[in-house]
Amino acid sequence: MSRVAEYVQIVEEVFHKKPKEYLVIGKTVKKYNSLELALGKPVYLADYINRFKELLWLKTVRSPYAHAKIKRIDFSEALKLKGVVGVVTADDVPGSKNIGYVLPDQPVLAYDKVRYHGEGIAIIAAVEKEIAEEAVSLVKVEYEPLPVLLDPLKALKPDAPKIHDKGNILTRFKIRRGNIEEGFSKADAVVEGEYRVNQQEHAYIETEGVIAIPEPDGTITLIINTQCPFDVRRDVSRATGLSFNKIRVIVPMIGGGFGGKEDVLNIIGARAAIAAMKFRKPVVLIHDREECVLDHSKRHAGIMRYKHGATKDGKLVAVQGEIILDTGAYASLGPFVLWRATVHSVGPYVVPNAKIDSVLVYTNKLYAGAFRGFGCPQVAFAVERQMDKLAEKLGMDPLEFRLKNILREGDQTVHGQLLDHSVGLEDILERLGKASNWKQKRAEYEKFNRETKGVIRKGIGLAIWWHGNSIGAEGADYSSAVIIINRDGTITYRTNITDFGNASPQGHIMIVSEILGVPLEYIHIERPDTSAAPDAGPTVASRGQVMGGNAALVAAYKLRQRLNQVAADMLECSPDEVVIKAPDVYCKSDPSKRISWRDLVEECFWRGVPLQEIGYYRAPRAIWDDETGQGQPYFTYTYVGAIAEVEVDIETGKVRVTKLYGAFDIGKVINRVGLELHAEGGAIMSMGYALTEEVKYDENGLVMNPNLYAYYVPTILDVPDSIEYEFIEAGFKRGPFGAKGFGEPSVEPWHPAIANAIAYALKVDVNEIPATPERIYRLLKKAGLLKI
Amino acid sequence: MSEEYPLIPVKFVVNGKEVEVKVKPYERLVDTLRYRLGLSSIKEGCGRGECGSCVVIVDDKLVPSCLMLTVQVRGKKILTLEGIGSEDKLHPIQKAFIETHAPQCGFCIPGVIMAAYWLLEVKKNLNPSIDDIKEALSGNICRCGSYFRFIKAVQLAAEELRKMKKI
Amino acid sequence: MQIREGKIKPKWLVDLSGFHNELSYVKREGNEIKIGALTTVGELEETFLFKERKYGGFVDVFKKFANAHVRNLATIGGNVAVAVSASDFILLFKVLDAKVRLESVRGTRWINIHDLIVEKRTLAKQPDEVIIEISFSDIPSNAATAFMKFDYREVTVTGIVTVASYLKLKNGIIEDIRVAFDRVSRRIPDRVLKTEEFLKGKEFNEEVIKAAYNNVLVKEMKRKTDFRASGEYRLHLSKVLLKRVLFLCKNRLGEV
Repeated sequence: MSRVAEYVQIVEEVFHKKPKEYLVIGKTVKKYNSLELALGKPVYLADYINRFKELLWLKTVRSPYAHAKIKRIDFSEALKLKGVVGVVTADDVPGSKNIGYVLPDQPVLAYDKVRYHGEGIAIIAAVEKEIAEEAVSLVKVEYEPLPVLLDPLKALKPDAPKIHDKGNILTRFKIRRGNIEEGFSKADAVVEGEYRVNQQEHAYIETEGVIAIPEPDGTITLIINTQCPFDVRRDVSRATGLSFNKIRVIVPMIGGGFGGKEDVLNIIGARAAIAAMKFRKPVVLIHDREECVLDHSKRHAGIMRYKHGATKDGKLVAVQGEIILDTGAYASLGPFVLWRATVHSVGPYVVPNAKIDSVLVYTNKLYAGAFRGFGCPQVAFAVERQMDKLAEKLGMDPLEFRLKNILREGDQTVHGQLLDHSVGLEDILERLGKASNWKQKRAEYEKFNRETKGVIRKGIGLAIWWHGNSIGAEGADYSSAVIIINRDGTITYRTNITDFGNASPQGHIMIVSEILGVPLEYIHIERPDTSAAPDAGPTVASRGQVMGGNAALVAAYKLRQRLNQVAADMLECSPDEVVIKAPDVYCKSDPSKRISWRDLVEECFWRGVPLQEIGYYRAPRAIWDDETGQGQPYFTYTYVGAIAEVEVDIETGKVRVTKLYGAFDIGKVINRVGLELHAEGGAIMSMGYALTEEVKYDENGLVMNPNLYAYYVPTILDVPDSIEYEFIEAGFKRGPFGAKGFGEPSVEPWHPAIANAIAYALKVDVNEIPATPERIYRLLKKAGLLKI
Repeated sequence: MSEEYPLIPVKFVVNGKEVEVKVKPYERLVDTLRYRLGLSSIKEGCGRGECGSCVVIVDDKLVPSCLMLTVQVRGKKILTLEGIGSEDKLHPIQKAFIETHAPQCGFCIPGVIMAAYWLLEVKKNLNPSIDDIKEALSGNICRCGSYFRFIKAVQLAAEELRKMKKI
Repeated sequence: MQIREGKIKPKWLVDLSGFHNELSYVKREGNEIKIGALTTVGELEETFLFKERKYGGFVDVFKKFANAHVRNLATIGGNVAVAVSASDFILLFKVLDAKVRLESVRGTRWINIHDLIVEKRTLAKQPDEVIIEISFSDIPSNAATAFMKFDYREVTVTGIVTVASYLKLKNGIIEDIRVAFDRVSRRIPDRVLKTEEFLKGKEFNEEVIKAAYNNVLVKEMKRKTDFRASGEYRLHLSKVLLKRVLFLCKNRLGEV
């Protein structure tokens, strides 16, 4: 007999109790630290440097080759430089020489060979940054270059150069549902396609960095801009041999993460910790922009081959797919990215017969790992192009075709998961169609393109997607939060969910504020600190609000129960009648009889009623069968959709996005502003992925654009003329107040919509992104549409 | 290292205060401002003038401090975010950025506010078109994607400044 | 930037910025336009070059020159001295047949811009000579300049293909035409002399220009492939930009 845990019951109870009005939930409130940010306060990693009287500067010696054996390292010239304190190499690593989020395949510092351009092989410590930099240039390393592997298709072949001893294939996943041959035999229309995506770079403006301080009591403190403090702690422990309770990780405000600071800081933190312990001095290591690009993970590039079949009345009968993702030199989060891509590989549709095979390979590209979307953006592009092509073959409107196939309440996903509630797709499509004037615009643009004598063609395109919340079957999914009501009535909130501009910690205190009945101003959020609060799990997978928020909710709920008991006694009514609208506390039945919040808090202290609580929430176990891909991979899905309008210059191939429309089923809006910013910011990031962003390599695997001028991140001059969007609240009984995650889904529908819009404008098959002007030029040339 | 290079005294004005520092000839303005003078609003994102997070106003010009050597600002007046407003008296531009909820991770914000200040207060364009705004902020990369908010914030600040100056 | 990358660690740095007041100017002296080498790109906005359409090439370069703050630091002289294909002002000065004034302890001399820029990062001047001024003959009223820079994004530093043009029309006939691209065959901006020769004396219309780029330009220009774009695409873009920049010039001339 299954027993539902108390914390799950609490979340469900709060969800079902839908009040007419909320105090703060769903409202537009200022972010807790927007004042600090507008004043330029020293809240980021590099701002801590001035707090130290003496810091050793660490700089990394890096490989100029993408694949080479390390034969000899000569530090003699570097060590002669005045101010150089010492050197750290793999030989100085006391614990495991290799660490890694999923597989321990990545060296803390390379020792026998290097596998990507810029891989770190040693650290130089010096009293000043310039001395360390000069010393790095004086280190002489003898390399034996090895053949470079850059093509993931080649990586699959047995005769390809081996990046790792175990071979180039890391892992595979699959989905088997129904009978694929039978499915295709029923199809009246079949569409096949091969799609390519390239590496995207996070390009956050703050680079990675860490300050490591060896403490007098033998512990070590790290101030580090990581999204996942407990992962840093674990990997520093692995590399140094120190136990968890001897390592403290503090996280300042982070200048952008997007997954690039997920596992990346584990190795950087380990390097700094080892240096701090070796030299017994506080150390600082900050990457400059070029190091940042070379030495953190990228979005997986890949190739996807799909075959879709549907009946003539527009019902999908079969989807077959082959997904190859290129994880570069090391695994990082690769296996999980592949898994998520596989789980989502057929899109948010009812698919009776599916055969999906996916594989992850090594190459000598920069290592690929977590990046907002985590495998979804890649397959979303391929699948949504396929859906449009299939609609076209059937002679159907793409929106109508999708309406015939989307998942609805009561449907089973391709994994056989029953979606008994919280599926807002139909609403999404209807609202998008209406907001954008879809049918009319399509007809208008078709006519314009046919009749125009100019060089601009107009297009409009649609895409929808789904995103499983939190980590699914990747591991144990739990979170914690700490609430302390101080004796003066103010509240201290602690979470190890980190803030890099996401909606989370703000959303947590809105939950606490709502449940306790206190204004947001009473609550102070402390910096994430592994010594001050338990593990909240990593700030990834769009789980900050859902998982972290649930932990905060559980803690707040329990405190509220206790406060209600005491207040009820003080006010002589029953606990469920207690209303807290701090500073006032009264009973519903007699509002004239009031006590103050501070009185209530003080009374709790005297009565011995504890006013601190650690909230804990664990998600239901994911179920996944490795052979069939059947089960319950995620506890819920966020659904998103977008329509994009574009203008394409058919002489230059340049695309401009003019208008964007979005609609998102996020369960319930908690931090309205946070979600709005995700939508707007996600659209820009997704637009970059669609049109201009690509990490470029030469034939030797050297990165050609490790900077911000040849890697094209959208600027304010690239924004579309307008963006409109709405939130659909389909609720989710196990999210805080019904909320689902939005951090990643917010980047997922835009780029496929843009690709579809270009295809509509030009009547060409857009099958690779970024759809740069040159790629569009080649499509136009192939179609004979160049008129120059 | 530092003995080989003579330290050069440089006098200049920062946020209305006269300062004198002794710097190496190749010391960058961004390092002097951040580390010697403790002005944390100036960030270093790229060191090459590509991201805009280090911009300051030197003698009425918006410039990337990572591309300037400190010796070049001898006798000049520098304005940073710390000089345009404080907790007790926020500048209308800072207020507008908070009201429109523009900051996400916040790292680019000081640079963006300085660019907005340059447009509105230095160039004195209190009725900027959207193109004027985009032009002034053209060098500020915001990876979190708050661009739509920046446009609104600058428009709001312009309106507020017009009211204050009765234009 | 090279200092930051540690490529040069100068022991003694001669800071020219103190001369800014003396060497930042845009003036008309008789029939010559003179631009001081330390004039920043940003400062051009306040000059007469932004007021008359025939100087439009300067406005075009300004608009596509990196971003707002880099413009305030970058100098015209610096842009010329760097001598790479991305030095947008070199294209403009080449179509204006500009002269560069150099000074050293030995005295002053003038050198034609075409002779000064020898190859990528290579100038025909002594290390102790300093670029003081760039000058060119004023543009007649029946001529105009234009410049275009194409890149994948609106804010651009290097550009995929850039072009500058000078066009003089008389009764619809091309009386004088000068066109420079970021690269023609050398790794520096150059004029496309054969294409100019073809166009001179002909009627300004679409067919003539099409013949120019499809028959002459493609033979005169050799485009290389690099990580940004292929040679084939660059050649294609060069054709498109030739057409567009000439029509931009034409529009600035009005009815001539």
